[in-house]
Amino acid sequence: MSALITFKDIQVHFGSFHAVKNLNLEIREGEFFTFLGPSGCGKTTILRALAGFVTPTGGSILLNGRDITNVPIEKRGIGMVFQNYALFPTMTVYENIAFGMKVKKAKKSEIDAAVRDIARKVDLKEEHLTKKVSELSGGQQQRVAIARALVLKPAILALDEPLSNLDAKLRIQLRNELKALQKKFGITTIYVTHDQEEALTLSDRIAVFNNGVLEQVGTPYEIYNHSGTEFVCNFIGDINRLDPALIESSPLRAFIRPGKVAYIRNEKVNLAPIEGEDVVRLRARIVDREYYGLYSKYVLELEGGSRLKTIEKENGRVALEVGAEADVYIRPADIMQFDRTERGH
Amino acid sequence: MNAQTWKDRLGSLHYGQMLLYAIIAWFVITFLILPNLNVYYEIFFRDGSFSLEPVEKLISSKRAMNSLKNSFILAVSLMITVNVVGIMLVLLTEYFDIKGARVLKLGYFTTLLYHGVVVSASYKFAYGENGIVTKLLAGLFPDMNREWFHGYWAVLFVMTFACTSNHLLFLGNAIRKIDYQTVEAARGMGAGPFTILWRVVLPVLKPTIFALTILTFLTGLGAMSAPLILGGSEFQTIAPMILTFSKSSTSKDLAALLALVLGLATIILLTIMIRIEKRGNYMSVSKVKSTLVKQKIHNRFANAAVHFIGYALFLIYVTPVALIVLFSFTDARSISTSTITWNSFTLENYARLFTSMSALRPYLVSVIYAAAASLLVVALALFASRIIHKYKNSRLAMALEYALMIPWMLPSTLIAIGLVLTFNVPRLIVGNTVLTGTHWIVILGYIIIHIPFTMRMVKASFFSLDHNLEDAARNMGARPFYTFRKVLLPIVLPSTLAVLALNFIKILDDYDLTVFLYHPVYQTLGVVIKNSTDVEAGIIARAMTLVYTVVLMIMSGITMYLVYGRGAKDR
Repeated sequence: MSALITFKDIQVHFGSFHAVKNLNLEIREGEFFTFLGPSGCGKTTILRALAGFVTPTGGSILLNGRDITNVPIEKRGIGMVFQNYALFPTMTVYENIAFGMKVKKAKKSEIDAAVRDIARKVDLKEEHLTKKVSELSGGQQQRVAIARALVLKPAILALDEPLSNLDAKLRIQLRNELKALQKKFGITTIYVTHDQEEALTLSDRIAVFNNGVLEQVGTPYEIYNHSGTEFVCNFIGDINRLDPALIESSPLRAFIRPGKVAYIRNEKVNLAPIEGEDVVRLRARIVDREYYGLYSKYVLELEGGSRLKTIEKENGRVALEVGAEADVYIRPADIMQFDRTERGH
Repeated sequence: MNAQTWKDRLGSLHYGQMLLYAIIAWFVITFLILPNLNVYYEIFFRDGSFSLEPVEKLISSKRAMNSLKNSFILAVSLMITVNVVGIMLVLLTEYFDIKGARVLKLGYFTTLLYHGVVVSASYKFAYGENGIVTKLLAGLFPDMNREWFHGYWAVLFVMTFACTSNHLLFLGNAIRKIDYQTVEAARGMGAGPFTILWRVVLPVLKPTIFALTILTFLTGLGAMSAPLILGGSEFQTIAPMILTFSKSSTSKDLAALLALVLGLATIILLTIMIRIEKRGNYMSVSKVKSTLVKQKIHNRFANAAVHFIGYALFLIYVTPVALIVLFSFTDARSISTSTITWNSFTLENYARLFTSMSALRPYLVSVIYAAAASLLVVALALFASRIIHKYKNSRLAMALEYALMIPWMLPSTLIAIGLVLTFNVPRLIVGNTVLTGTHWIVILGYIIIHIPFTMRMVKASFFSLDHNLEDAARNMGARPFYTFRKVLLPIVLPSTLAVLALNFIKILDDYDLTVFLYHPVYQTLGVVIKNSTDVEAGIIARAMTLVYTVVLMIMSGITMYLVYGRGAKDR
């Protein structure tokens, strides 16, 4: 599939601060693409550069092969949904959605038809249209913000952490709505978030950023299971860093390349026997257990004092109590190995 | 910011925007910077070369030096009396459990209904030679001097009770923010009510009290109407003296120098105040703050004494207002003799306001000036705030902000003198015309002195705006002016209208600035009210002053209700 958006050697400086460092990235048409990373990693800056709010200090941004680096914001065809939606508080829902078309001096009848059509598509009821945006729930506000962006028929929908100000329950609900809407419209969507769970559940592909540098691009599966860098592996999910002393004193040594740091995801440390070749068995004692209902989290102390965390589903087995002895099973293929870097720690 | 960035920015500006920026720059240079620089010129370079003659003249003028001394005495006295009364009012209404505190509060808040010259005129009406209070006292003490209410003590008395509004507003607000858990904690450790007040409550209020003290000192220093109306010949202060000197061409330099002294004192004290403000208020560290519960005074004697003080103060505050309202419905004879019978009541004074053009005229003049000036100052503040908000990190925006704050650092007397001295000759920068003595200079004066307050409020609204709103509008193709008109302005409009209303009310009865600038043919309410307190004032003029005052109070009351009261919450 050809690239809809191409970031070519993009650099962004704010004074002496280098916010985005030499970004090269392609985003395909129709993708739900997520920029993921911690605060200050440059993900929002890249989105704002794409939308035209930030001018890159170097490189170019191509849309369908056309250089849009210096094209005015309104001519880029990018609909933006802001972190707090940026709905105009003095206007009704209808006026908010119609704003862009009014600016473009569209005919009244055309505006009316478009507003009602998009409102229907994002599941906003007719009676919502006359309300002030402050009278709407968080979910309805999100739909207004999306409708406002989509009514201008943009080529790309850009969303800047739209769920970050909401409580956990609503966040999950709206996340699902968002995904459904994206599927419905089939629009290329770029989503910025620092929430790894959101990124994994929503995205077709994810770009992980750290300190203005693109660390890895991949599908959620690739990012989670085959993290490209030590930073990505640490940033996504819960993980154990294997203690060098443990590696040295156990059969694991045969599987870790010299000079590498090794990680294994918590759920890949098993307390029940597993099938497969080369499975390593270690002896451990349970030193802590947190019960979550659906699952329990254990802290295990291995011979030699190294510790590992694991997670076990409560599947009717008798739970292991603190102080109990247990065997631990690790599949060497589940271990991720990286060159030692400062950033990963 | 480099040259290229400026070139880019200027390139993106529309002609309309450029014109607007040019107008603001012209206004700042012409009316905020030039007159103040010209004051120095008029004092020290009047004959073309540097001379300290006006300083020598000032030092050798006994009247001028006396007025300086009196102003400082008044300012220092007010610092003490206003704080004592102001803190007491706040404690009575917010801290102690006083029966009828709500009614008392209403009485204490009457100072928000009338200001400056109107207050002084009202107190003179109640306590002056022909006032009803004096009449009652004379009944009790037949030998008393009926002209007792003038000089230092009268000025101090009136200004003390007139200057407590800030305490009620700001100190009242500060005391309400005190975390009650700190009071309970102190009580838990065995502290008594007055120890808690002294050691826990008042220290938290210290920064606010400091700031209010300085404001009070400045008010005392620049006092105009109270010394003018009640000071008499034995207690003349700087501002009235500046007014007197400014009327003669031979002593204009002396007026300017006195205004400069006032200005310097103001700058020094405001600098101190800014430092205190920067040191900040004490912030509650409680995670969950609890509301202050009013403290009962268990000692019977102390409780009775505090109640007595509360109601005595209430009487002092309410008496002039009640008398003004009452006598505004009486005939000329009652007003001049302070005697009321059932036959005295009439609506004649109010009827005259609406039937006699000469009676209505000061009102019309003041309303037109106040409407024009408050609209223009709000428009200026809106555009200037927009520029400062949009280019918040640029040096030019900072320079604009500082320039617009100049009037905050200067007393209105100095601003007035600066305008009068600068524009009494044709100046190219204002189209080679003379502005002194015209309507323009009156409106300009009002605009200038209201810029800082208006800017503070309007700028705060702009800075509380979500910057994403503008980005969202841009994203949908809106041009800057369209975004300003359709998105930003409707959001800042309610607070802007509130500022407009407050400015309108303040300008309506202004005297301190107006007296230097007014057009002789078009006397404003402030000037007419002041003139009605003169001995030679006619009875009709005095009666009309009562009507003007009542109407002013009603207008102020409505404005206060809409801006601060339930009216604001209902919107």
